[in-house]
Amino acid sequence: METGFKTYHPIVNFCYFLAVIVFTMISMHPIFLVITLFASFTYSIVLNELSSLKFNLKFLMPILIIMAIINPLFVHKGVTVLFYLNGNAITLEAIIYGIASGTMMISVLMWFRSFNDIMDSDKVIYIFGRLSPSLSLILSMTFRFIPLFKEQFKEISEAQKNIGRGFSQGGIFKRAKQFMREFSILITWSMENSIETSDSMRARGYGLPHRSSFSIYRFDRRDAIALAIIASLSIIIVLGCHFDMNNIVYYPAIIIGDITLLSIIVYLAYFALLMIPIIVDLLEEYKWKSLISMM
Amino acid sequence: MEIINFNDVSFLYPLCKKKAIKNLNIKIYPSEFIVVCGKSGCGKSTLLRLMKQELAPDGDLLGEVLYNGLSIEELSPFVSASEIGFVHQSPEKQIVTDKVWHELAFGLESLGIDNKIIRNRVAEMASFFGIQTWFRKSIFELSGGQKQILNLASVMAMHPKVLILDEPTSQLDPIASTEFISTLRKINLELGTTIILSEHRLEEVFPIADKVLLMEEGEAEVYGTPLEVGDFLSSKYEEHPMYEGLPTAMKVYSKVCPEGDCPITVRDGKIWLTDLLGNELRIKKINSEENSYKKEPIIQIKDVWFRYSKNGNDVIRDLSLTVNKGELFAIIGGNGVGKSTLLKLITGTNRAYRGKVIINDKEIKKYKYNELFTENLCMLPQNPKALFTEVSALEELLDMVEDSKGTDDEKLNRAKDMLECLGLSHLSDMHSYDLSGGEQQRLALGKVLLLNPKILLLDEPTKGLDPFYKKVLAKIFKELQEEGVTIVMVSHDIEFCARHFDRCAMLFDGTVISEDTPRELFSSNSFYTTASNRMSKHLFKNAITCEDVIQLCEQNMIQNVMS
Repeated sequence: METGFKTYHPIVNFCYFLAVIVFTMISMHPIFLVITLFASFTYSIVLNELSSLKFNLKFLMPILIIMAIINPLFVHKGVTVLFYLNGNAITLEAIIYGIASGTMMISVLMWFRSFNDIMDSDKVIYIFGRLSPSLSLILSMTFRFIPLFKEQFKEISEAQKNIGRGFSQGGIFKRAKQFMREFSILITWSMENSIETSDSMRARGYGLPHRSSFSIYRFDRRDAIALAIIASLSIIIVLGCHFDMNNIVYYPAIIIGDITLLSIIVYLAYFALLMIPIIVDLLEEYKWKSLISMM
Repeated sequence: MEIINFNDVSFLYPLCKKKAIKNLNIKIYPSEFIVVCGKSGCGKSTLLRLMKQELAPDGDLLGEVLYNGLSIEELSPFVSASEIGFVHQSPEKQIVTDKVWHELAFGLESLGIDNKIIRNRVAEMASFFGIQTWFRKSIFELSGGQKQILNLASVMAMHPKVLILDEPTSQLDPIASTEFISTLRKINLELGTTIILSEHRLEEVFPIADKVLLMEEGEAEVYGTPLEVGDFLSSKYEEHPMYEGLPTAMKVYSKVCPEGDCPITVRDGKIWLTDLLGNELRIKKINSEENSYKKEPIIQIKDVWFRYSKNGNDVIRDLSLTVNKGELFAIIGGNGVGKSTLLKLITGTNRAYRGKVIINDKEIKKYKYNELFTENLCMLPQNPKALFTEVSALEELLDMVEDSKGTDDEKLNRAKDMLECLGLSHLSDMHSYDLSGGEQQRLALGKVLLLNPKILLLDEPTKGLDPFYKKVLAKIFKELQEEGVTIVMVSHDIEFCARHFDRCAMLFDGTVISEDTPRELFSSNSFYTTASNRMSKHLFKNAITCEDVIQLCEQNMIQNVMS
């Protein structure tokens, strides 16, 4: 479904995720971590509701717990020793660092999941088309041919099975041989097909100089505003990063920098940046609801 | 002035002795609709490709091919790419990108046109071809017919003056191909684009063609109006491989009473028939012959239900069907009614969730692995290439007997006998990919037959074949039948079923809605039936083939003279 943040121009989407994922990866400050965890979790729920809640609990929670356990087992730095395990010190700092890096990791994963939902193949192709038109064509052809090969392979397998040559049973050697046979049919057949594909490309003038790249996206005022907001918030955060406000010292002892007016502004900017798509989506939802209630 | 001019053109492929095109002189004028026909391998594709610079085959070209007075080779690449459009045979293979809108813009991108103009042109084309509803779709969601319309639209977006199409409907089902042809007609009438089309099924293109080029062995046999070509073919009758492809009305006219205006369409044929015979007829029926074979069921399908996933829709609903031993049995029906799914139920690829499939008195579930496929049941896939693994036709067949008993000599003999039997002996050293569509089909059939099947399943074996190969195929089926093989075929080709098969079952919405001999089945239908039947329905009760109509006409005329 095309709603909210997804309807923005691919460049806006791409810049947003680029900024968010980079900032998340370089920031280990607890406040930064809490903000990004909250935003990525909320956004994944806004996008996919139940299915992402399930995914988050099933796969991401264990990652967090494992990180929190594994880090202190291998890292013995830190001044606050809690107890000894086989003669090795288990320290509070290591546990906290484990939790922090686990939080960072699952946030990045959740952001990538949302990235996947928002940036469909068309948008990815568009972004690469900005770099080079032929690159975007190659990508577009790849997106077409991989599923086509899959289908063809299925057809071949079924045809072979129906003359009594399936590879689902029999000895391992026989099976491997049959699989290779089917694979070789696929290769020969696809090469043969590609002749017609290349004919059809040349017939439509492929190879002429000055190729252009068409897209169905239009960069309108709404996109410009969104991009400007993303850019200005990012500048504030970069400034904050420059003064090391996004990190704290974990080893040997945890030292958190003072909270100043400037740092509060940076935290707010970070929060605002991360909340953009959620706000956009929820605002749209609210507008629809009020539109419907007026009718 | 003519737009395309073949000036005494001959063409020889490298390493070939025979010329692919011989002394061809043809003038094509702007806005004409030209149909090129002929047996496969007669040089149609070569002829069409010579008109397009980018696709012109390598070889020796004598004479000249001119576009607007300029030699094709000397055209600037931009002019050639944009003004001469070319649509190929396969809907699937021509498509390059993954989205409909991107495919439409592909040619324009190549020409380096900027985004704003592309947007305009693409929008125009999408509305002209009725694509706007699936404009943003992915290619995988389209049907074959939609894909071919997209290919056409993508070429038309470049605003060509000449549109060349190489058998564009051969991979489409009848409904989609009718729609495609009528789109071509619309382009020709409303935009005045010159169209050059090669086609086997003359029934639909004869009424709209300005001129027809009939080719034989690289030469132009006749180049004239459809009526002239019809006259020529009728005078040769069955000696000519393309005679079978003529519109039914023309065939009947030429056989029964070649006087007055020759009818081309079913409508004209109907009027002509009434004028000839009057409404009061003495003989209205063909006495149908009883089938002689014993009714011994070999495939029984009992109350079968099938769906692909637990929450999906039923594809097959409460279907029951019996096929008898030694029968030629056809399953017909439109697109997506479950024909192929039914075939997969018989091979065991699909398993029914309710009901039984019994083959040779044994339920399909009880067959152990491969037992079903050893000397029992075999399926010829729709695409013969799915079976080819070896380097030559003979090796392909040897591959199948490899595991059987006997000495190497015996195996070689079996393979050679099979080649002989299929009429492919002269091609035994050729690579299977170098054979024509019809020859590939027969080679694949040979592979399957070497497994000695008792039941042969076929998925649209006549797709893309010219009338001549269809006849060859029918002959092979008859021979197999005499050897006691049961054949079950899924097909769109109702003319072929009506002529050659013993029984037909018509599928609709996942179930059999009628099942009978072709004569009974088609004469009780009014739309989904053969052209002969549609043309003669108002006079004759059960004429379903061209021969039936001719026979009844002659009988009635004799009766009229006698009384």
